[in-house]
Amino acid sequence: MPGNTPKVSPTLQALIDKGLVDSLPRSFAAFCFDQMKDWDLLFPAERSYFERLFGLLDRTSPEVVARLFQPLREIESRMGMTEKTWPRGIFTLEQVDFLNRNRYYPEWRAAVSKIFAQLDPVLDAEITRTGHARLVIVISPSQLPADPDRMWTRLEALGKRVSIEPPKRPEDFLPLLLTGEEQSRRAPTIAHSFAAGKKGGAYSSWIVEVADGLSRLGPEGSAVVKYSYDALAPYRKRLMKDVQSVVDAQETPGPRQFSARLKQMKILASEGEFAADPILAEFARAILLSGNGTLLINNTFVEWATVQAVRRARPSVTLVGFGIRNKVKPFSSLLIYADQDATNPIPSQMDTLGSYVDLEVFYQYVFQEFEKYAEYRKNTAYLFVGDGMEEMLAIAPPDFPLMQAADAQKLPQVFGHLKEWLGV
Amino acid sequence: MHLTKRRFVQLAGLSIANRIVPGPLLGQPSAKRPANKVIIVTFGGGVRYSETFAPEGLRNIPRLVELRKQGYFFKSCINSGVLSHFNSTASILTGNWQRVDDFGFQPPAGPTLFEFYRKQSGAGPMDAWAVATNKSFAQMGWSSDRDFGSPFGANVVLPKQLLLEAVQDVVKKGTEAGVANRDDILRRLEGVLSEGYEGVGWTIFQAGKKLDRQVRETLVRGLVEYINGPEAPTSGDELTFFIAREIMREFAPRLILVNFWDMDVAHWGSYSLYLNAITRTDRLTGMLWEEVQANANYKDKTTLLVLPELGRDGDQNTANGFLNHRSGDPSCRNTWLLAMGAEVPRGETERPVHHVDVAATAAELLGVKAAGMAGAPMRELLL
Repeated sequence: MPGNTPKVSPTLQALIDKGLVDSLPRSFAAFCFDQMKDWDLLFPAERSYFERLFGLLDRTSPEVVARLFQPLREIESRMGMTEKTWPRGIFTLEQVDFLNRNRYYPEWRAAVSKIFAQLDPVLDAEITRTGHARLVIVISPSQLPADPDRMWTRLEALGKRVSIEPPKRPEDFLPLLLTGEEQSRRAPTIAHSFAAGKKGGAYSSWIVEVADGLSRLGPEGSAVVKYSYDALAPYRKRLMKDVQSVVDAQETPGPRQFSARLKQMKILASEGEFAADPILAEFARAILLSGNGTLLINNTFVEWATVQAVRRARPSVTLVGFGIRNKVKPFSSLLIYADQDATNPIPSQMDTLGSYVDLEVFYQYVFQEFEKYAEYRKNTAYLFVGDGMEEMLAIAPPDFPLMQAADAQKLPQVFGHLKEWLGV
Repeated sequence: MHLTKRRFVQLAGLSIANRIVPGPLLGQPSAKRPANKVIIVTFGGGVRYSETFAPEGLRNIPRLVELRKQGYFFKSCINSGVLSHFNSTASILTGNWQRVDDFGFQPPAGPTLFEFYRKQSGAGPMDAWAVATNKSFAQMGWSSDRDFGSPFGANVVLPKQLLLEAVQDVVKKGTEAGVANRDDILRRLEGVLSEGYEGVGWTIFQAGKKLDRQVRETLVRGLVEYINGPEAPTSGDELTFFIAREIMREFAPRLILVNFWDMDVAHWGSYSLYLNAITRTDRLTGMLWEEVQANANYKDKTTLLVLPELGRDGDQNTANGFLNHRSGDPSCRNTWLLAMGAEVPRGETERPVHHVDVAATAAELLGVKAAGMAGAPMRELLL
């Protein structure tokens, strides 16, 4: 067992102590160690996954496990993985680089995929047995220059377009959809209601958005996880400045050292209310510093944060609020870590058409990400909604009430269906 | 003397090269050498079939769609190597799958086409150029092979890095108008050329450690004219095109790599910006072909090979689709290649070719024997 064994749960520790991880192929074991090394910063769903994965391997006969991993062992040998190139339990950028540049990398990927193709159905079956109804609502901004028939074009074949009777006051659209009431009532959103229910709890309900149209709904101080690109502006701007300083100072000799520096750039209490929660604080840092373009483009932040939330936390209720990104100013493509507003005084302009094009792809990516996991398949209702739009797209199992709707729906009616679906 | 855009590279290059290169070698094809010229254009950064030659992508590349009718189209050009930028382009240039450091800390491991060409033909340094964007590509001009190396390498110019340096400096100073003030950019460009031009990619063969004063002034004037001109850049690729065209006009090299890069904005996660960049590169590639047709040194004696450096992850991929290019799925590896030229037949083929075949093909076109390449010449272009 390597000396850098992560601190994990007692259940998992017992399996590690039995030598279970040591018996696995070098790259597989190293990857798992790396994923588990910051155990305290993992979401409950992630911890549960590793406990179930190693529990399954422990329950399986050693001969079967050996057979399962044998192809990977053979490829590792051909790749030249030794104690020198792959010290036990270490998985850094050097190992990633080793894999990427190795001529057997495609075969290695295939072998790893084959292992999971055999493990996942068993693990998924455990999830399915304890599954429950889930809800995802993806909201597009009202400024998009598109009629409903030009929306969600990549997904429309999977669902049903549902007519909506818009409210008299446009600003009531989202409150009525998500709370069943006008905003002034400050009624709890469907996310709040679920988080407060018996299937809810910490990290079960998420709001990820560009601005604050969703976060400001409902009571304060709930268990709903909220990430807003706009609300994170102080942290984002500090990160950009700090990263640029590190780049300028040229103190970091390589990507590995640079990555280590980035890990130290944690959110301050003044920069976000979740700073007190180490798991959520680290999630924010990782989203902003390891996601492509998340510092720069609001909708990229929302998409990547949502995708990562699904991968890692597996929320039961997810409200996603996209927005309109600004046009890129001259020279901005050269200034990755610079605040556009500070570097160029030309007023920012909204790019509504560009945002429309961007979002048509992101709807698909977000939907696909949820559907990769057993938690969501066959028991999740997805609503793709345009703020103020008289039509929405519903993708859901046949028993989701809206799938039978024939007439135009009032928003409080839709909210009622959501409550019924989730049992809150 | 009135200095035009065209003059800046002319004076820069000639002033430098005069000190070290015998006059007859300056951009003058030797009578013993065949006159064929080769320009390799890469859609650097990577682009998928689905945004280019797939039916749904054709609207993004109107110029290439038209050019395809005049050239030879390989429907399947496969990148079987490491799916990083440096290794992909190095594989194109060496004819062997490269597995060196991804960040440009190592040169290509085997001789590049530039080195084969210059060593065998005796061509001078002004006869082989690489115009690129990514800073790591400063290592792209020659390999670590002891029998070849820098004496036979290409001039590598990274125009965008020069611009980048200037823009960043303006930002650091925090002036009121920021990068909107082109005068600030101008002043900083001049500073960059005084202090650290080598660091921003200019590896033009020079004798001394400093750029000649006249050269430096000319570079500044040329770049500033570009910045302030009607084609003021919002992207690096326009500058890349501008420099490549000037090199063609002044030195008429027989071998050029033009590595466009803007489409790598896909990493930002904006599909529309990615599409815009593809269309811009399409336009610039068309303009490059127009230059070939309009330039007597190139017309009827040039083969233009256009291909994506690599693809990008497919929409179904776990790695977040078009944003990345590391998954190794078919969308990442399967690209295309378009060949144009007076001696290039019109047509297309389903026969798969590979990125490493480009160097082998170009070597044949240049009349160079390139030993040890994994790639094979594309016989369709060598009739």
